[in-house]
Amino acid sequence: MNKIMRDGGKLLLLVPLFALTGCGSYNRLVQLEQNVNKKWADVQSVYQRRADLIPNLVNTVAGAANFEKSTLTEVTNARASVGQVKLDPSKAPTDAAELEKFQQAQGQLSNALSRLLLVTENYPQLRATEGFQNLQAQLEGTENRISVERNNFNAAVQEYNTALGTFPTNMLNKMFGFQPRPYFSAQPNADKAPEVKFDFNKAAASPPPATTP
Amino acid sequence: MRDPVVKIFLPAPVASLFAAGFLDFARNDRRRVAALLVAVGIFASALVAGAAENIPPKPAGYFTDYAGVVSKEAALRFNEKLAQFERDTSNQVVVAVFRKMESDSSIADYTYRVAEAWGVGQKDRRNGAVLFVFVENRNMFLQVGYGLEGALPDATAFDITERRIKPRFRNNDYEGGIATGIDSIFAAIRGEYKGTGRTKAEEKPTASGNGTGFIILLICVVIFALAIGRGRRRRGYGYSSLGGPFIGGWSGGGWSGGSSSGGGFSGFSGGGGSFGGGGAGSSW
Repeated sequence: MNKIMRDGGKLLLLVPLFALTGCGSYNRLVQLEQNVNKKWADVQSVYQRRADLIPNLVNTVAGAANFEKSTLTEVTNARASVGQVKLDPSKAPTDAAELEKFQQAQGQLSNALSRLLLVTENYPQLRATEGFQNLQAQLEGTENRISVERNNFNAAVQEYNTALGTFPTNMLNKMFGFQPRPYFSAQPNADKAPEVKFDFNKAAASPPPATTP
Repeated sequence: MRDPVVKIFLPAPVASLFAAGFLDFARNDRRRVAALLVAVGIFASALVAGAAENIPPKPAGYFTDYAGVVSKEAALRFNEKLAQFERDTSNQVVVAVFRKMESDSSIADYTYRVAEAWGVGQKDRRNGAVLFVFVENRNMFLQVGYGLEGALPDATAFDITERRIKPRFRNNDYEGGIATGIDSIFAAIRGEYKGTGRTKAEEKPTASGNGTGFIILLICVVIFALAIGRGRRRRGYGYSSLGGPFIGGWSGGGWSGGSSSGGGFSGFSGGGGSFGGGGAGSSW
């Protein structure tokens, strides 16, 4: 009898303890989820930044004499298809297939861009202009930002998913409808940032460097 | 993940020797403890050696020339100029000249990680910028923190490296190139933020004032080193050499020399700023 009383007391003590840890875990999950969403917004904004650069790039390149038009249309089309798989920028996707589709569209744009930039190799005069070089620098910077923000997003997702899968937080998933989030995956082609590195040495070496003021 | 593969090489016997040595020192002479700390600092940084790449330790000053291409006077001048710029504007601009890039990644990728690790810029403003120069690779990159991307966009960063610094580097005028680079960066970002009149390093209570802080830190380092050493041994790692690739790497330029140049040298202390991959670079 006495023993039951003692154990009951212990249990009673445990209840608020569980409640407290539950609250802490819940708050932590909410924070982590918000962090994931914030990082997702960052990813979206750098992809948007790239999309915004494209009309400018296309205009600059199209201005060059006899520029091969097919690569230009390819970039324009890829950009348009990226616009079609727009995901909610304020909320990270919960569906892995959705993210996959998004990634594929962006990957196609990356490929089209890298092909376009490869073609510009044949137009040294274009590449010597300051306007093109600046665009090039912006595009490179944007690709770097994309890789940084994607990494940050994946790190945030990892932290959140880990918290979601471990005790005691995992008991809250069902109760409050927390869902694990998919990662960006490294794909052989689509994921690869276009190799937009140019050796400006070559460009500056063949014509005299007087092209740049 | 972008975490660099960082391996710590420290056989346990050496670590315990180290601990014993510390106890002796502490008993005998207080000043020698400080000297030991410096040794520990160098030692600890030597331990951090990447398999795939080396993230160099946070520099002691705003300007550091590991490659020895700039005169001492100019180096000191650059350093003071950069320190004064932080006092005036709170922007942290750091210039680091290395002999060689020690990574298989692209320069943009690698220097992003280094800048991030150094925490250049104030934490809340994220207003840091780091100009990395790799002399043997004939390559440079200007990393721009989040908070300066507006004032120093990629095209401007590229303009600075490609059209201002590069022509001088091509003529082997490193001093001139860096001087122009610093001035151009200043011109771009000067109006962005207001400074407090002090650098981050000057804001901190002087650590040398109380020895206890040093000793606690030292004990932590030793305990940590011991723990790592034990852990390594148990798992059967058999690194016999200290530091590994570090020897002959960053140590070549002697980064510790910078901090001892005395006479009004303003030390650098990162404010915890972060980077987002902005910036641009050029090779010459």
